[in-house]
Amino acid sequence: MFSKHVTKNISAYCHGELSTEESKQFAEHIISCAKCRIKFEEVKLGIKFAEQLPKLSAPDHMWRELEDVLDGTREIPILTTHRRRPIFAFAAAAAAIFVVLGGFALYYSSLPSPTLPGRAEVSLNVQPAWRVNRLDGAPRIGAQRIFQDGELRIGQELETDGNSRARIAVGSIGNVDIDENTRIKLLATEPTEHRLELTRGKLSARIWAPPRLFFVDTPSAVAADMGCAYTLEVDDQGGSLLRVTSGWVALQLKDRESIVPAGAACETQKGIGPGTPYFEDSTWYFRFALRAVDFSPEAANRSAILAALLDEARLRDTLTLWHLLARVNGGDRGRVYDKLAGFVSPPSGVTREGILRLDQQMLDTWKATLEPAWIGSGKNLSKKGAYGTVKGGLSQRLKDMSPK
Amino acid sequence: MVMAEKLIDGRVIEACQQGDRAAFQLLFETYKDKVFSIAVYSSGGDRAVADDVTQHVFLKLFTAIRQFRGDSEFTTWLYRLVVNACHDESRRRRRLLPLGDTVAMRNPADKKPQEKHYARLEVAEAVQAAIAQLKPRFRLPILLRYIEGLSYDEIASVLGCSKGTVASRLNRGHSQLAKRLSHLNNPAVWGE
Repeated sequence: MFSKHVTKNISAYCHGELSTEESKQFAEHIISCAKCRIKFEEVKLGIKFAEQLPKLSAPDHMWRELEDVLDGTREIPILTTHRRRPIFAFAAAAAAIFVVLGGFALYYSSLPSPTLPGRAEVSLNVQPAWRVNRLDGAPRIGAQRIFQDGELRIGQELETDGNSRARIAVGSIGNVDIDENTRIKLLATEPTEHRLELTRGKLSARIWAPPRLFFVDTPSAVAADMGCAYTLEVDDQGGSLLRVTSGWVALQLKDRESIVPAGAACETQKGIGPGTPYFEDSTWYFRFALRAVDFSPEAANRSAILAALLDEARLRDTLTLWHLLARVNGGDRGRVYDKLAGFVSPPSGVTREGILRLDQQMLDTWKATLEPAWIGSGKNLSKKGAYGTVKGGLSQRLKDMSPK
Repeated sequence: MVMAEKLIDGRVIEACQQGDRAAFQLLFETYKDKVFSIAVYSSGGDRAVADDVTQHVFLKLFTAIRQFRGDSEFTTWLYRLVVNACHDESRRRRRLLPLGDTVAMRNPADKKPQEKHYARLEVAEAVQAAIAQLKPRFRLPILLRYIEGLSYDEIASVLGCSKGTVASRLNRGHSQLAKRLSHLNNPAVWGE
């Protein structure tokens, strides 16, 4: 946690120049060190720009001109600031070599001459790939079944049936297990971004990378790894369920984002994006109410449902309440604020007015104060009997509706 | 590694040392684009100067290849010639020609979706301009990494410094690029 800063290794990490052990130490440090994380984002951006540097083609006439110089029939063009003499020296030396070695050249012409590469050969690059290990059955990469190991390249799909599973190595930053009846596609694997698409089924990812290096696109949101382990499942309607077992994951769709810590889950729906994250140990009626708030925005009794949700909230559920601030309007936002402030007072500089107008800086400041409660060290944050909840009203009715 | 580079083995080098023109041409065809690219970026985008620098590098290569003893990789030896030529050229020129300052100030993210392709091209131009403005000690490791695809060990060998120095110079080079081009960092530019 308090190991040495790792800023000098950021480029080496992104380029895969660190050993596995060094990479893990790097990732562990950067997850806990805000200073290094800021520098990491900066270097990563620089790498992203450097990758845009195009390779240029030398002019076609260059070889002819060189041959003319070597044959002594042409002087090499002189740079405006160049002196002439050294250039002549090169040309003269080159010509002399050819005279002296002419005999050898004749001799060599009788040997099989190396073939000049064609254009296609020159431009062929070896594409990066992810290693795939079969865990069960015979998963397929494209049309090819794999019975042991395989390689997944950019643009290729990996598909499992009801009896097969596979494990893929995401460069040097982690593993992803692919469950039965799942289809994924590799979209990108670069120093600054590893990205796959999960179109259906379930995967389990364990990534020891700094934040936002590994992404999974689903039909309804993008899961951005923040250094963590999680499962992600996509249903036939394109909705998904994220469950985080360690670290943090961000779910995004356009400007809607949910930050999900270990122990929490989050649903997404096609056309809406990520719902509000919740801890999996929250009450059934809390989650029921949250689902209605998230995905039934037109519900006539939305305010009443929200009131029930607030009744059920515990200190840990401030995770949900903080996210809800930006997702409810008017009086509802005021009610969420009051409930949240009842658990953890807003820190200095954070005002009710500022939060109600969704001042991002104030929201972030308050979030930083709340986070210890989300990662299990928030007992001292409790205020006004945080774990005491008042049940009644619609909350009780929802409870009555729950399956027996 | 580019496929053509696999064709360059000890026999080709030996043939070059014996003056085989076809072997020279093979070497030239294999490496000309990489050498030219580095020369362009090191000369502030002046293709005419880069043209001449590239020809000088190959003339030097042709005349000096007999001295190549195979103590290091051939590519390491070649890139040392390139780096030295670029250093010489930098010393000759009082200052680098500015390349596309006005391009760098525009924000391609303002473009409409159908113009994203052109926006990417503009980003590439702005990156070239930013790289041309880096000091040679930060620029060369970046060029060797992104144009030649060399590992840190290979870059260290070409530049005659330690791997740690390469890592540190790349870090600083990347940071400077990020700062100079931060105004272009927009999801629309990256196609997100």
